[in-house]
Amino acid sequence: MLGRLARRAGLAAFLTIFALFVVGPLVWLALRAFSGTWQYPHLLPDTWTLKWWTQVLDSADLGSSIRLSLVFAPVVTIVSAIICLPAAYAFARYEFPGRRFLLVALFATNAFPKIGLFLSMAGVFYSLRLMGTFLGVVIVQLLGTLVFMTWLPAAAFSSVPRSLEEAARDAGARPWRVFARVTFPLAAPGILVAMILSFLASFDEAQGTFLVGAPNYVTMPSTMYELVVNYPGQVAAVFSVLLAIPSVLLIALVRKHVMSGRLAEGFQLR
Amino acid sequence: MTRAHRLRALVMASPPVLVAAAFIGMPVVSAVMFTLGYSGGFNSILADIGQHEHLVTGAGGTLGAYRDVLGDPLFRQSLWATVLVTAAATAVVLVLSWGIALYLRLAGGRIGKILAGLAVVPMFIPVVIASYAILEFYSPNGFLRSLFAALGWSNAPVYGYTMVGVTFGQIWVSLPFGVLMMTSGLNAVPDALLEAARDAGATPARAVRAVLVPMAKVPTTITATFTAIGVIGSYTVPYLIGPSAPNMLGPLMTDTFESFNQPQQAEVMAVAIFLISAVIGAFYVRANLRGAKEGKSK
Repeated sequence: MLGRLARRAGLAAFLTIFALFVVGPLVWLALRAFSGTWQYPHLLPDTWTLKWWTQVLDSADLGSSIRLSLVFAPVVTIVSAIICLPAAYAFARYEFPGRRFLLVALFATNAFPKIGLFLSMAGVFYSLRLMGTFLGVVIVQLLGTLVFMTWLPAAAFSSVPRSLEEAARDAGARPWRVFARVTFPLAAPGILVAMILSFLASFDEAQGTFLVGAPNYVTMPSTMYELVVNYPGQVAAVFSVLLAIPSVLLIALVRKHVMSGRLAEGFQLR
Repeated sequence: MTRAHRLRALVMASPPVLVAAAFIGMPVVSAVMFTLGYSGGFNSILADIGQHEHLVTGAGGTLGAYRDVLGDPLFRQSLWATVLVTAAATAVVLVLSWGIALYLRLAGGRIGKILAGLAVVPMFIPVVIASYAILEFYSPNGFLRSLFAALGWSNAPVYGYTMVGVTFGQIWVSLPFGVLMMTSGLNAVPDALLEAARDAGATPARAVRAVLVPMAKVPTTITATFTAIGVIGSYTVPYLIGPSAPNMLGPLMTDTFESFNQPQQAEVMAVAIFLISAVIGAFYVRANLRGAKEGKSK
């Protein structure tokens, strides 16, 4: 009886601390965005204000970086889908020499730390005259989406039962019809998750974009670094809330699929 | 499949590989060559602007840059800090992921859903924002200290700009993937096996140890390796939350290039991180290949 009570208390304590650990920083930051004066050690602001919001939303620079982020992310996602989805299908459905090796190699590209990579990549980009260009930034952000756009859809395609495809073919459907009516709809949730994760990866990408894009193309995350250093904390807080909105909306859209367990399957080599 | 089919499949699979080869593979090879002293081709600009460089003309590289870096106490401190933070963060993420996944698997219910839902929240938030939020949370006038001050302890520790804070940040950022991986990994173990163990008289703890742990080896390995690789090469979290020095290797690399103007030494550090990541990645590949083999033999 006492043991049960102790276990319940322990669970409640863990839940509270865990909730504080995860959500606390976000709530704290959100409060900051609306705070006028806030003395230590009060747990809530002393005065509330919207002036930081008007400051951020009025600022041309900050506004343009938000817009730019919202332009790059969809472009990168679509380009990534065009490049990677056929490959994902090939990885899922066909056996060919080097299949596993290429899959792992794609993943291995993430293992080289980005900073070190960007130093050399700058050399490549300078030679190809891609520095400071729209295409250059697209390529840099694209690199961060390759693994998502190949592995996850490949797992999604793999999980479509071949028997269904064969049944459709036996019923007389041409290969493209089979793909469009059977394979793709069943693989769509996995592909959607991949697209959203890619969108967010591009949206979130800071260092590469800063290196290649500055000073012509400065996106939200790059601006964030500068804000943290040069502006009052409340401005950074407002910007953070703004930057978090697309993420929250998008992941909320696919939350069901992400939490269903497909994500884990997507990262196992087959 | 016929040979023609196989070739066609290879061609179909090639675009992302070619993009990666061109824009990651080539720079990586270039970077490694640069660390060994080759200043031609893509490295020429870096070679021009850098200081304290060890360059060669013609064949036969030099290990001068490596000697510089490995002999630098700042690098060794940073390497140590990186390894510690990575190990600590990975361990905590594993424990939390297993704990939450286990609770969901064995008890479920509303609390389980709340735990899993909370654990996935960091996925919604860009890393830049998360790092800043965590820094503020543990800063001298942040929530932690304010809470303790309100409760009577006016000198609670500050974790902003410390490696502890960085570790908190790394755990925070890595948690969703771990929890998702372990929940799906544990869910894949059939109920029948657990029930059989219980019928045979095993306590819940024994059932976990004897059934779940072995069967969830692959997801556990994936969680550990992906988390470790992510933490070890990270930049944003240690840059925003950590001290100026010693910090993890990511910020040190950038400093070495931007402040000290030593791109060659910075690349040596990148190679060091890559090698460690490759070793960790090898565990992942081995676990997967073994898992696939076991799957086939069933």
